[in-house]
Amino acid sequence: MAQHSAKGAQFQAVTGNRLVDGEVVYFTASGAWAEAFDAAAIAEGGEAADALLAQASPADIEAHVLDPYLFEVIALDDGSYLPASVRETIRAKGPTIRPDLGKQAAQESA
Amino acid sequence: MPSDYQLVKDRAVCADDWVYLEDDAALGDAPSIISLDRLRAENEALKARNAPLGVVLRADNQGKQQMGEDVHELAPYLDMVQLVAIEFPVYRNGRGYSNARILREQLGFTGELRATGEVLHDQWQFMERCGFSAFELAPHISLEEFTAALGELSDAYQPAADSQRGALWRRHGL
Amino acid sequence: MYRYDEFDHKLVADRVEQFRGQVARRMDGSLSEDAFKPLRLMNGVYLQLHAYMLRVAIPYGTLSSKQMRMLAHIARKYDRGYGHFTTRQNIQYNWPALKDIPDLLDELAGVEMHAIQTSGNCIRNVTSDQYAGAIDGEVEDPRIISEIIRQWSTFHPEFSYLPRKFKIAVTGHENDRAAIKLHDIGIVIAQNQAGETGYEVHVGGGQGRTPFIAKKLADFVPAAQLLAYLEAVMRVYNMLGRRDNSYKARIKILVHETGEEEMRRLVEAEFAKIDASQMLSLPQAELERIAAYFAPPAFAELPATSDKFEAARAEDAAFAHWVKTNVVAHKQPGYAIVNISLKPIGGVPGDASDTQIDCVADIAEQYSFDELRVTHEQNLTLPHVRLDDVKAVYDALAAHDLATPNLGLISDAIACPGLDYCNLANARSIPLAQDISTRFADLDRQYDIGELKVKISGCINACGHHHVGHIGILGVDKKGTEFYQISLGGAADETASLGDITGRAFTEDTIVDAVEILVETYLDQRQTGERFIDTYRRVGMAPFKERLYAE
Repeated sequence: MAQHSAKGAQFQAVTGNRLVDGEVVYFTASGAWAEAFDAAAIAEGGEAADALLAQASPADIEAHVLDPYLFEVIALDDGSYLPASVRETIRAKGPTIRPDLGKQAAQESA
Repeated sequence: MPSDYQLVKDRAVCADDWVYLEDDAALGDAPSIISLDRLRAENEALKARNAPLGVVLRADNQGKQQMGEDVHELAPYLDMVQLVAIEFPVYRNGRGYSNARILREQLGFTGELRATGEVLHDQWQFMERCGFSAFELAPHISLEEFTAALGELSDAYQPAADSQRGALWRRHGL
Repeated sequence: MYRYDEFDHKLVADRVEQFRGQVARRMDGSLSEDAFKPLRLMNGVYLQLHAYMLRVAIPYGTLSSKQMRMLAHIARKYDRGYGHFTTRQNIQYNWPALKDIPDLLDELAGVEMHAIQTSGNCIRNVTSDQYAGAIDGEVEDPRIISEIIRQWSTFHPEFSYLPRKFKIAVTGHENDRAAIKLHDIGIVIAQNQAGETGYEVHVGGGQGRTPFIAKKLADFVPAAQLLAYLEAVMRVYNMLGRRDNSYKARIKILVHETGEEEMRRLVEAEFAKIDASQMLSLPQAELERIAAYFAPPAFAELPATSDKFEAARAEDAAFAHWVKTNVVAHKQPGYAIVNISLKPIGGVPGDASDTQIDCVADIAEQYSFDELRVTHEQNLTLPHVRLDDVKAVYDALAAHDLATPNLGLISDAIACPGLDYCNLANARSIPLAQDISTRFADLDRQYDIGELKVKISGCINACGHHHVGHIGILGVDKKGTEFYQISLGGAADETASLGDITGRAFTEDTIVDAVEILVETYLDQRQTGERFIDTYRRVGMAPFKERLYAE
């Protein structure tokens, strides 16, 4: 499996899978977990990233979310972010061969 | 060394009469569980022992390939011990199930066969089927939970070290 | 096919309740994820990229229409309206919620199905020949001993925490459609001089990071002793298999590191002890009881040829074309074996919608003695169709995009779920299968190329069986970009061989061109009657490599 973040990655976010249904979720600035990548809190620099992951992983986290981890994101000119890896891009959207399934389907109809 | 636990033996909670001894600790009259290395090294002297003796088979997680101790190595000394403890370093390491069955079914051991280490709910029934008669459990486990777990699968397809014949045979009254 | 008795029903019901309890304890926190994970794996529940994935067992790939309809129902009720048929004859659902899985398993139990031991470090689904009971030249229906092995291995108290997963396959025919030499244990049913049936046992095959062809440890184990022999293999493995490194924990590594001779000696020594106890001596009565479930169906006495079938072939060119690729001769006069391709041109290999699954269920019930099979190449088979009915079957299939005439051709590729679904993947595999399929969409061209088994894996775990593809493709990740490595000359049948890597990997943009170059090279080199694999075996890697890397 590919590394989630390249060494010295500038921007990172935290993701995991929800226990009850396996849905991909992202840790937000308010401390909640959201289904959409757009809501993910972005940490800049290694220290901030480690702090974000720690905040996202309290002792009882596995009651709600499985295995939270940091992954690299890239900053776009318009101030938004995108996942850096193919894997996280797919997790954020859904299977590439079924645009009618996964988060991308909900986004389409929204 | 096993840490804080409660002993369930023959499906009842009981006080543990046994102590685990390090290799360099003096061997007294208390029922003592020693390592296979020590049993091997001191077996001549131990033949004269009048007190209960037990041995623990360790799974060596640090050694190359994690082979652990093999029950066949115990065979020459089996009539000297009343207890064999088999260690499960992590529940995922299932060598102990084979060691147990060999001990019961091939080497004919009838003493206390004890599971030590990581001994969790979802392994108890299979452990008992493989011949374990005693379990070192986390202190918070209730006897109700333990007993219920032993019956989660009400039948079996195949024989093991317990009295279950297995459906493939019982269907034909064998 | 096998029908559960009270023992089978009760054990599956017990298991559902047990898992329901485990899920509840996980949800209430009394069971940690670390302790829960192997338990959910032993019930076929994976965590994948987007959601959980549930793998439902289809023992030796055999299903009734009732079971098939339940699979469609599960897809609708608990999932997103489709399922994926796998390279081990099982079905996978990609979107079930953990909280729903106990109820889902309950419904499956009602039709004698389950997800027991479809994952985890235990003995997995026993797979076999999709033409079992239908093809001429079978020594014995391999599903009989497969069912016996299935029962013996289910909830086996000694072998549920093995060093690693364990896969068993059985063939009863000289043409091995079960890939037995690529399994941890592969069994070939044999007959001795006296006409008695026995079992050849091969051990230590496998793919993944370090592929191996299995070694034949035993020539002829009588039925009564087979379980004792298998138990001996398992015990040697459980005792001596490596637990320090999960990449070296399969029995293939043990056989390789121990050596074939010594392995045989160890197994035979253990077998002698187990056999002496007679506890695993298989009762003849049980063998006969199970064999009775696999007796031939009530075939009608029919002429060997069917005018109706011949007329349809003459009239309908598309039908005739499909017959050439997908219909195979049956041992019973007047019948045929019909293969259903789940590889529509440009489609997702092995996927079927709930509607398609229901359609196949109806056809199986009406035209195939209520029976169908899943193949390890991610297709389906109707084992017993009257020649008179083949056209009606074709029409019913065609109405649901299930009549692609490409069995064994280049567009009939195996692809694992890959990075579109799988947590372990490094690259996507399905889009590559689709692109290859589309590039070679012209069916006349495909037919001219002939049998060409393309197998695509999205990572080194080789669930797409790329090591045994005539053309094998392995997706790799290089600094965040997907690359594709090609191997040639693999085969999964009785001539089992592992593919040779061609060299430098290709990008997403160049891999399909590379496949085309390989096909062109084959067409230039081939002699009459040679398939791709035959030409490769004759001329070797050089001509292919030269043209592949010609720039």
